[in-house]
Amino acid sequence: MLTHSDTRSEAEAAALPLVSVRGLSKSFGGVQALKGVSIDIAPGEVHGLVGANGAGKSTLIRTLAGLVLPDAGEIRVDGRPVSLPGPSAATDLGMNFIHQELAFVPGMTVLENITLGIPKPTRFGMVDWKATAREIAPIAARVGITAPLSANVSGLSTAENWLVNICRALVRKARLIVMDEPTASLSAGEVEKLFTIVEDLSASGVAVLYVSHRLDEILRLCDRVTVFRDGRSVAGFERVDLAHGRLVEAIVGGKVERLESRHEQASATEVVLSVRNVASLPMVRDVSLDLHRGEVLGIGGLVGAGRSELARLIFGADRLDAGSMTLDGRPYAPRSPSAAVKAGVGLVPEERRTEALILSKSIAFNALLANLEKAVKSPLLPLIDGQKRKTHAEVIIRDLAIKTDSVDKAVGKLSGGNQQKVVIGRWLLKKPRVLILDEPTRGVDIGARAEIHRLIRKLADDGMAVIVVSSDPEELPDLSDRVLVMAEGRIVRELSGGAISRTAIIEASYQAKEQSGKR
Amino acid sequence: MSDATFASRRLSPRTRLALGVFARYATIIGLIGMIAAFSALSPRAFPTLINFTNVLNQASLAVIISGGLTLAVIVGELDLSVGFAASLHGVLVMGLIVSNQLPVPVAILIVLLLGALIGYVNGLIVTRLKVNSVIATLGVGTILTGLAFAYASGVPIVAGVPEAFLQISLGRWFFGIPNNILIMAVVLGALWVLVERTSIGQEIQAVGGNPAAARLAGIDVARIKTLGFVISGVCAALTGVLLSSRLGSGTTNAADSYLMTAFAAVFLGSATLRDGEFHIVGTLIGALIIAFGFNGLNIFGAPTFSQYIFQGAILIVAVGLSSLGRIIAES
Repeated sequence: MLTHSDTRSEAEAAALPLVSVRGLSKSFGGVQALKGVSIDIAPGEVHGLVGANGAGKSTLIRTLAGLVLPDAGEIRVDGRPVSLPGPSAATDLGMNFIHQELAFVPGMTVLENITLGIPKPTRFGMVDWKATAREIAPIAARVGITAPLSANVSGLSTAENWLVNICRALVRKARLIVMDEPTASLSAGEVEKLFTIVEDLSASGVAVLYVSHRLDEILRLCDRVTVFRDGRSVAGFERVDLAHGRLVEAIVGGKVERLESRHEQASATEVVLSVRNVASLPMVRDVSLDLHRGEVLGIGGLVGAGRSELARLIFGADRLDAGSMTLDGRPYAPRSPSAAVKAGVGLVPEERRTEALILSKSIAFNALLANLEKAVKSPLLPLIDGQKRKTHAEVIIRDLAIKTDSVDKAVGKLSGGNQQKVVIGRWLLKKPRVLILDEPTRGVDIGARAEIHRLIRKLADDGMAVIVVSSDPEELPDLSDRVLVMAEGRIVRELSGGAISRTAIIEASYQAKEQSGKR
Repeated sequence: MSDATFASRRLSPRTRLALGVFARYATIIGLIGMIAAFSALSPRAFPTLINFTNVLNQASLAVIISGGLTLAVIVGELDLSVGFAASLHGVLVMGLIVSNQLPVPVAILIVLLLGALIGYVNGLIVTRLKVNSVIATLGVGTILTGLAFAYASGVPIVAGVPEAFLQISLGRWFFGIPNNILIMAVVLGALWVLVERTSIGQEIQAVGGNPAAARLAGIDVARIKTLGFVISGVCAALTGVLLSSRLGSGTTNAADSYLMTAFAAVFLGSATLRDGEFHIVGTLIGALIIAFGFNGLNIFGAPTFSQYIFQGAILIVAVGLSSLGRIIAES
């Protein structure tokens, strides 16, 4: 079913890019998202696209997908200028898009989802599903779908969802597949599998535009890389020129100040939160830990190890099946997040857009949501004092360097990093005894990531007890005084001081997995 | 996609702006246009102070019940029990005054407390038993209709209604303004302050905007949702009381039709000034559109059936405008 235009000679193909973008510009309201961007994607290459949030990557993709009409500029496919008034035009030209939020019809089978909206063989006027399955099966096998085609998509893991999406693209005779942050929620093993498939696609002549914040993946996978900054394409690298440092410099537009690693013995200070043998089955089993004043405690491990669930448990968002906790020596058993907040615990959730922010509301509204007592005229007269509210919000914007022109701007209009800062700012103002941050820098650009790390460090230095949950093994060594590695709902390793390293965390995650596999 | 600023729908800036303006101001333009049209068509009967006062007076009960319903929909739930509840409260307040000889203020207080209790029960069913609010309040509303019939045996209570009770609705105690209009203004003003200017109001808006985020910010979502139902219940009770006072009788189905009016008003309101968000001022404008529409239909002697058609059509237009507003807000 796959057809590629390999009628042309190699030399010709190399000379003629599959997709060529020239001088593309687009503004939304007053914001210029693209300022004359140019990029060439050759047939069969893996082309990396990197840049900070708000650099224009998404707008370029949305333009190619026919979701956004450019103000100026030209898009050529096979050397011919094309217009992309809608998504179907992009699909017809062989461009397919796989987003972070994967869209499927729940309740339908894998096969139905793969073939959704394309003509299928019929028998007696009805869809011949057997014939359809025969046609699809080889493609599904090629991308490594192990689930049966008749399985319900609702039961698939994120990784399997990706595979189904890639299969769907191939069935539509894709010549370019755009992958937006493909590994954001995949485990290390699944990432490896995806890499193999990407390489296989590339070898068979399908170009891949690979958008990611994870530079190690970009370095490993991409033939060429284009860097976006502030709506411009500022740099292009061939594979031989690729280096971590140079990429980072191009993304940031200068040198990055790296956070000093600091591994002092915070365990000398008093215990703020003590967790004993807690469980929330099946994700958390028999976990005990002590969290000290002024300490940053990292919790690492693979996706599905129970890290987020442990965080939710401590925050009272999930029910405790067994065990007990104390906060400042007093029994602590929150029945709800509001009880946890009252007791002095805060959470920066994993998904800021769906779990932390009300996107249509202003920065001030969102920042003060956990601090309404600070915004009222008096406790007896709970009327909102506009001036107090504004002052508090402005302090947060200043302290966290949130880029905005007003405290009244809707949070949904900010970039990912700035949104995350608003969520952190909420707790900065609240000053809880314990602050839990779940994936604090996921989907955040490198500059904002360094700032957020500095903030977390400062909170701990000021005496807060901080837990950072992260699936990014590079994040915890920079940040933590101690790291607990989880696997299968248990804490399998404690690392502290000089023993904390990226490799130690990864090794511990996998070792435990193998051991429990043997059990 | 991780970046927030980029539109999810492909609308040119000019179309977006035009559509946005249309969606936000269509209801207000509609209201002004309707008043202008009726004034031109019937310059003697329509644009008079007496008629406008009359329209406001007629609208006052619908505004109160719609204002209460607005709180329920802001927290993300629907309350279909309001009309049936108001009918029960109307019968009950009459019964307490006429049959049980209770003093008027005591009877009213009992009914308002019962309204709060019904709202509380609605809230418990929705937040604790996790029953969909449409089903929960439809069930509760139907039970309330049954209770109203049981209480009054289906016979309107008309005889022996004390003048003091009738005067609540008929009197003009301040500056010659009908009491109902004053009560409406006070209730609506209080609801507006609650939603827009208090810390509880911020929590109410947060729960409506994103319940998951509100919960993880430490807000007791179940409590706030229940509060929305309680306020809706109290406003329904007040509407029932004022309706009985105006009619001079307690009739078992008297207030049922307020359900439709209230929903039309609330959804028209959500399409007003804000992009698909429910709010008190919008509800007021929505209720006025319906009131002026009815008044115009009456003045021109339109048959009764046309009022139903008008109201049904308005509800559809209202929800359409409301979702148009939301689409634009998201794009």
